[in-house]
Amino acid sequence: MKYVFFLFTLFFLLPKNTTGQNKKEPWSEAQLMATQTLAEQIGKKQDGQLLIVSVGPDAVIKGSVNMGPAHEPAQLKQLKNYLKKVPRNREVVLYCGCCPFDRCPNIRPAFKTVTDMGFKKAWLLNIPKNIKTDWLDKQYPVSEE
Amino acid sequence: MMYRILALLILCLVTGNGLAQNGPLKTGQAAPEINLPRLDGTPFALRSMKGGLVLIDFWASWCAPCVKEQPQLKALYEKFAPAVKQQQFDIVGVSLDKDKRTWAKTVARLKISWTQVSDLKFWKSQAARDYHIEELPFNVLVNGQNKIVAINLHGKALEAFIQQYLEAQTQ
Repeated sequence: MKYVFFLFTLFFLLPKNTTGQNKKEPWSEAQLMATQTLAEQIGKKQDGQLLIVSVGPDAVIKGSVNMGPAHEPAQLKQLKNYLKKVPRNREVVLYCGCCPFDRCPNIRPAFKTVTDMGFKKAWLLNIPKNIKTDWLDKQYPVSEE
Repeated sequence: MMYRILALLILCLVTGNGLAQNGPLKTGQAAPEINLPRLDGTPFALRSMKGGLVLIDFWASWCAPCVKEQPQLKALYEKFAPAVKQQQFDIVGVSLDKDKRTWAKTVARLKISWTQVSDLKFWKSQAARDYHIEELPFNVLVNGQNKIVAINLHGKALEAFIQQYLEAQTQ
């Protein structure tokens, strides 16, 4: 009887744990862009169709626009206002780079805003650690100061 | 007494091993000098901190985990207030911010009362280079002889280290 009770409990607990581990992100795997891909496009001057937007510490990446940390309501509003004038078929690449994704407070509200506004070609730059390690240290193209 | 010294030695060894993964800084080596302006623009030099244990906290207002850690540091600063008063312990915040207004606003909002310095050069800050910082938050503890005694301790481990260090000093 105890064995049956144990299995019964396990049956109800397992799906909850699984859901907890696969926390739903506002982006899909397919919407992640590798830093090397973006760096190559900038290097070959093929980034003309891209709108590269910083929603974190600074517009480090060459040609990007700085909207500031998107976890702050004022900065998120600034992002919304800026995007209002942008055609919805434009490719938008968002990046932060303050810290790893699991600790970043900026990318989720920013990415959700972009997709909610109807941008079908939205990308999130895949920065596993931070902008220093994954962009600056790799000597990828940076904004002129 | 022996137990405390032993505990301190173990902590030093543990942090020293942790360091090997974080960069070329090592416990026991001299702390690189920090010459940066304070928030009010006056010059600051690490060498001017005489005698006590100094926690150098590398942070930035744009770094969410760093901002989250500030109330914990504040609690430590209050807990060890008598040691601060006797110049046995202090904290120095080195910011990798770029915008002075945002930096100042964050310091004011968090009510940080310890020394804050920055050259506002983001990852190009001289201090970030000298201390081989790869990610934030990052900290080092420097003793009265300007030697690094611990690297990148946080939470309870940081508190325990300071506690044991100060106790060992008063024995």
